[in-house]
Amino acid sequence: MNEVSIHPSRRAVLGKGLALGAAGLFANLTHLQRRALAAATLGGGNYKALVCVYLYGGNDGFNVVVPTDPVGYSVYAASRLGLAVPQNSLLPILPANPQGGTWGLHPGLAALQSHFASGKLAVVGNVGPLVAPATKAQILSNSVPLPYQLFSHYDQTYQWMTSVSNDSAATGWCGRIAENLAALNGASPVPMNISLEGTQRLQVGPNSAPYNLDSSGPIAFEGFDDEGGPARKAAFEALLAASSTNKFQQAYAGQQVEAMQIEGLLTGVLAGAPPITTVFPSSYLGKQLAMVAKMISVQAAVGHQRQIFLVGKGGFDTHDGQNQKQGNLFGDVAQCMAAFHSAMEEIGYGPQVTAFTASDFGRTLSSNGKGSDHGWGSHHLVLGGAVQGGDFYGTMPNLALDGPQDIGGGRIIPTTSVDQFAATLGRWFGVSAGDLLQIFPNLSNFQATDLGFLT
Amino acid sequence: MHVPRSNQPLAFPGARPIWATCLAFLIASCGGGGGSAPGDEELPPGEDVPASDADAARFLTRATFGATRETIDRLRYIGYTQWFEQEFKAKPSLTRPALKEMSSQGITVNQQHRLDLWWKHAVVGQDQLRQRLAFALSEILVISDVQDNIVNDIGEVAEYYDTLVRGALGNYRDLLEDVSLAPAMGEYLSMLGNQKANPGLNLRPDENYAREVLQLFSLGLVELEADGSVKLDGFGEPIPTYDQAVVEGLAANFTGWSWADMGDFSGYDPSPKPMENYLAYHDQLAKLILSNVVLPGGQTGEDDLAQALDVIANHANVGPFLGKQMIQRLVTSNPSPAYVARVSASWNDNGSGVRGDLFAVAKAILMDPEARTGHLADAENFGKLKEPLLRVTNLWRALEANSASGKYRYWAAEEILGQAPLRAPSVFNFFSPFFSPPGALGAAGMVAPEMQITTHARITTTTNDMLYRVWWYWQGNPNLGPNDVAIDPSSLLPLASNPQALIDEMDILFAAGQMSAQSKQIIVDYVSAIPLSGAGNLYRTLDALYLVLSSPQSAVQR
Repeated sequence: MNEVSIHPSRRAVLGKGLALGAAGLFANLTHLQRRALAAATLGGGNYKALVCVYLYGGNDGFNVVVPTDPVGYSVYAASRLGLAVPQNSLLPILPANPQGGTWGLHPGLAALQSHFASGKLAVVGNVGPLVAPATKAQILSNSVPLPYQLFSHYDQTYQWMTSVSNDSAATGWCGRIAENLAALNGASPVPMNISLEGTQRLQVGPNSAPYNLDSSGPIAFEGFDDEGGPARKAAFEALLAASSTNKFQQAYAGQQVEAMQIEGLLTGVLAGAPPITTVFPSSYLGKQLAMVAKMISVQAAVGHQRQIFLVGKGGFDTHDGQNQKQGNLFGDVAQCMAAFHSAMEEIGYGPQVTAFTASDFGRTLSSNGKGSDHGWGSHHLVLGGAVQGGDFYGTMPNLALDGPQDIGGGRIIPTTSVDQFAATLGRWFGVSAGDLLQIFPNLSNFQATDLGFLT
Repeated sequence: MHVPRSNQPLAFPGARPIWATCLAFLIASCGGGGGSAPGDEELPPGEDVPASDADAARFLTRATFGATRETIDRLRYIGYTQWFEQEFKAKPSLTRPALKEMSSQGITVNQQHRLDLWWKHAVVGQDQLRQRLAFALSEILVISDVQDNIVNDIGEVAEYYDTLVRGALGNYRDLLEDVSLAPAMGEYLSMLGNQKANPGLNLRPDENYAREVLQLFSLGLVELEADGSVKLDGFGEPIPTYDQAVVEGLAANFTGWSWADMGDFSGYDPSPKPMENYLAYHDQLAKLILSNVVLPGGQTGEDDLAQALDVIANHANVGPFLGKQMIQRLVTSNPSPAYVARVSASWNDNGSGVRGDLFAVAKAILMDPEARTGHLADAENFGKLKEPLLRVTNLWRALEANSASGKYRYWAAEEILGQAPLRAPSVFNFFSPFFSPPGALGAAGMVAPEMQITTHARITTTTNDMLYRVWWYWQGNPNLGPNDVAIDPSSLLPLASNPQALIDEMDILFAAGQMSAQSKQIIVDYVSAIPLSGAGNLYRTLDALYLVLSSPQSAVQR
């Protein structure tokens, strides 16, 4: 990981980034000198990014990865009935440690099948919010602390985003990680956390909030370019700077100022972004990830050694019409994530960028006749060049209704906590072992603090 | 058109007030589409009039879609009591009948027509309080035609909004039933088509509506004190209002409902009529619902639903949970516990022993001492960010915007302003009532729900929109298209030669008189530098408008 070769197109952008600050100064440097300078001053090969693909509504992970061996599939099919994915449609995958079964992906995930085979995609089994490891017997006897308000969108979303499942006021774990590693980004005015999904708890730290970016890019303030523009702009800015004791006015003015300042920087930098030839799907998520790829390509010019992105897709709350919806939902996620990974390889960032899924909760294995209801544990995907893919991490659960892991209706008790999942990402991102225990206060309740799915 | 401002209460002894003339004109010219006028020309001067234009504007910012010179003068003449009486009497402006009328003229009705009517009712509807409350309710009792299964059901969605409009000044228990049986809600939260358990097939009822009706539409997740604070058990822990068993019991209760008049539970007919219960698909076993109530077996779907909603509506959480959110929608993001407690008390008893009287609750919220003096008593913390939609309606109302076609069209509001009527991304609305941004607000433990959609991207598009709304969409711009809604700045133009007077009037209309002297001076200085020659009056007015509307002091209400 120390020696990362720089892709030609990336080298070009590093050059451009530098040129912005000191036009012409480095014109006579050799490529090698320029590369060394970039690595030394702007982060270069030490850069890393996390990309959270949030699946709003609670994704049905138990239809993402499905047992295909006769015993495993029959248990699965008996629990899911009309919601079961037909056995002959599942796309085979061969995990290094198959946990006693054989396995397939939902046919909608075809675009990611080869990534599992090539070791870029890992499956983390049965993840969910927990305060401490919990067995069915412990839960039934009320002898283990549990996350507050299980099976509620609002709360399980917060628990995924904060990882502190027993504190409803906790900040976001990506926000806390960003503050822990803030020094790596030096004085860059652009926050480490960048969201294409508005302001979500995940990226709100005790003292920080994300920069909000549209998939079309930063937007300029208008009305300041015509003949009277400079005077108008001066008055506009004077109004933002005018003193006010009201906290709402201060917050609004602060947001305006930050929006203007960052747009001014990013628009210029993005104009020098290298072309990315990878074609992204034209979907909402595809456009978001295309913008993320572009932002990653200019990280050096932005002064970022670390970036955390949030993108998302809705529609996963499949109480109704699940079988009709799931193929399209999974298909879009898989195609967008696959395109994103290709783009990262194209611009030479493959091993430096890790994308992962998150979602409110898994869904009931049992059916309501039209779809599934709110569950708990679920499988999640991690994709990137640093991923030790082609394998399962954590434990694939017993899917029997009323079985040892079913707390009712096929709501499966998680066997891996969000803390463990997030801390594994955080360790790779550069947080020290000691700091991880601060950032994830419940992590020490669990045996494995690193699930091992990243190099 | 401009009425000279005065710091003295305006009175029109024996004369027809100027606003009444304007109202009469509006009724005549808008074909009644905006609802009936209060018809209050003959009202006597009120006894409880606002003491200043600023007080009147502050009230109207909350109770309507924005203050105007006419409504300020009118309120200062008739007073609060008569204002509320007139609002209660105003005929509801409804969307679905207007859409039906369009259909009958051969127009293929789509979502944009529904939205056009929302803007029309917000801007020129005479039932302002009712419309304003309906909009607030639409952000609590959320459906959204962004969701694919109702995206084309314009009639259902319009009827849903009309349900909120009709119920906004009625009783919460009635509204809860109307909302629960609205097919748009049935489709949105999948109660429509929900059927009783079939143990042989391992099917159980859909829990979607059961969960959200409790979590979002009535109680919230944890037990509350009457003042909205979280009740704690003996271990200092919050007490959940319900558990999974209650959700499952209610899910079974809410079975057997589908579109009306089909004869067949599984049929498809997206009719806007209230849903009908098909008994064969209704769970008739005894079921546990909320508050340890067990409903007996053998009941009809209608009886089961009515009894369950009775229990929900009578839960002690409803007043503080929904009352606080209504305060947050209308007045201030962080009401004091005492304020919430006063509103809860009004929710629990309107003074005549009636619970859930939403008109009484609205009056309690808007006339509360904290609402009226909070900006003085706690200038640092009182108030809220205005919803971006309301900043546009304020502009359009105050400057009598209209279009050549008569439509009130605003394209893709959610992409510019971050919100649009009945178009939230999920049942959790555009923003959370609990959103607490980092910075001084978060550090003080305060929430700022609207700050969640005030992202860097949306604050920019909203600010730019203020520029276009002012600089492009003005009556007289020869480039306007037939559907372009344009402001009429003529009432302000005579003030342009006196920048201080111009800014003072804008401060009243768009900031309820809360702009600081410093901020006003910045704009006065800027505007004074624009020469008055040629179209100088217009340029001064439009530029001042943009600066006022985009300023933090107009973006925040307090």
